[in-house]
Amino acid sequence: MPKSHEERESIEPAADSRREFLIHLLTGTASATVLLVYGAGAFSGAQARQEGYSEHARDGEPDHDYAYVVDVAKCIGCGNCVRACKLENSVPDKLFRTWVERYVLTNVGIHIDSPDGAIKGFEELNAEIRNNSRRSHTVPKMCNHCRTPPCVQVCPVGATFQSPEGFVLIDYNHCIGCGYCVQACPYGARFINPDKHMADKCTWCYHRVKRGKLPACVTVCPTRTRLFGDLNDPESEVAKIFDADKWMILRPEMDTEPFCFYVGLPREAR
Amino acid sequence: MSGPSPKSHLYRLGIILVVGFVAFSVFMAIAVPANWNYQGWYRLDALEELKEPPLVYGGNESCAACHDAIINEVKKFKHRALSCESCHGPLAHHVKGKQKIADAYIDDKGRWQCLNCHKKLVSKSLEFPVFSRERPREHTSIKPGTPCKSCHKPHHPTP
Repeated sequence: MPKSHEERESIEPAADSRREFLIHLLTGTASATVLLVYGAGAFSGAQARQEGYSEHARDGEPDHDYAYVVDVAKCIGCGNCVRACKLENSVPDKLFRTWVERYVLTNVGIHIDSPDGAIKGFEELNAEIRNNSRRSHTVPKMCNHCRTPPCVQVCPVGATFQSPEGFVLIDYNHCIGCGYCVQACPYGARFINPDKHMADKCTWCYHRVKRGKLPACVTVCPTRTRLFGDLNDPESEVAKIFDADKWMILRPEMDTEPFCFYVGLPREAR
Repeated sequence: MSGPSPKSHLYRLGIILVVGFVAFSVFMAIAVPANWNYQGWYRLDALEELKEPPLVYGGNESCAACHDAIINEVKKFKHRALSCESCHGPLAHHVKGKQKIADAYIDDKGRWQCLNCHKKLVSKSLEFPVFSRERPREHTSIKPGTPCKSCHKPHHPTP
């Protein structure tokens, strides 16, 4: 039944605001889509570096932008890196700044182990797992030196921080050992050092890099699985790998923007 | 007319605010470390302090300072990519300043240094040379526990 003229008059303003509402909704959706697509686009493609893999700027204009690359296929699980890190940074027993994990995908499930952080390498697995193995990898792990680090966010005293060159570091004269950062790290890279009663983790060997050396683990790696370098130097190996855009990161869903890039990371590695 | 001023509650509030502000400022002056970077939210001195720890591993270039000849020799063979220190132990355990403090570590009897890399593991690529008791045939006849060094030379290994 058609509405009378009076009735239409009375609903006119309501119709106007509905139109306005719909227009707002449409523009809102469109701009949100553009933002999302643009944001996601920043993570793919070789232009990522120009646009900034990270939209989170660090203070100052650093000369270096360090990154770490792990080529999983080259790792033989010898544990040289774990031993070198122990000695270089006097890491206490049973705790690790870097460690190596072994992933074996079998017909019945995934076998994951890291005996003592692989400080003595790995033992061959029992025949049952070995014969069912479909693929197997050893994956070195360490602090990922995220660009948006959750550990820095939760530190109540500002003892863990990001240096202008991308190192996530701990101020050992300021840390109160509360352990919030240990829980916040999605990579399990942090621990409480029982000698210092403070949080501790990989620093990418800040003291070595500042003296022009490579991190200890990179120095001793026999197969060049581990690489370290400056993304600002287009000739460096890490910059080439970054530009080739074949790298992956651990736990991308956490949105931490790690600067440890993995090449050939198996799907089962977390 | 005597008695409390009608504005005394405001004066009280003012005094509390002033005292509170002074207490807060004193607390901040004590609690916030010197040289605090308010932008990056960290102590600027920490960057310098973190550079201090001494180097333990020197890398092959520091070994070359004295053992140039051996390193050039090793460069011709398959173990050229290895770090000297991964078998011989770190530089800091061998020299201090320019003074030798201990012999570079060599495990004469053990096989673990070889087996760390050349152990058979499913995760290794098939091209990587691994030790097996069955192959090559020479391995079947040797006594178990024989050091690899008695046949293979670590600096220039041959299959």
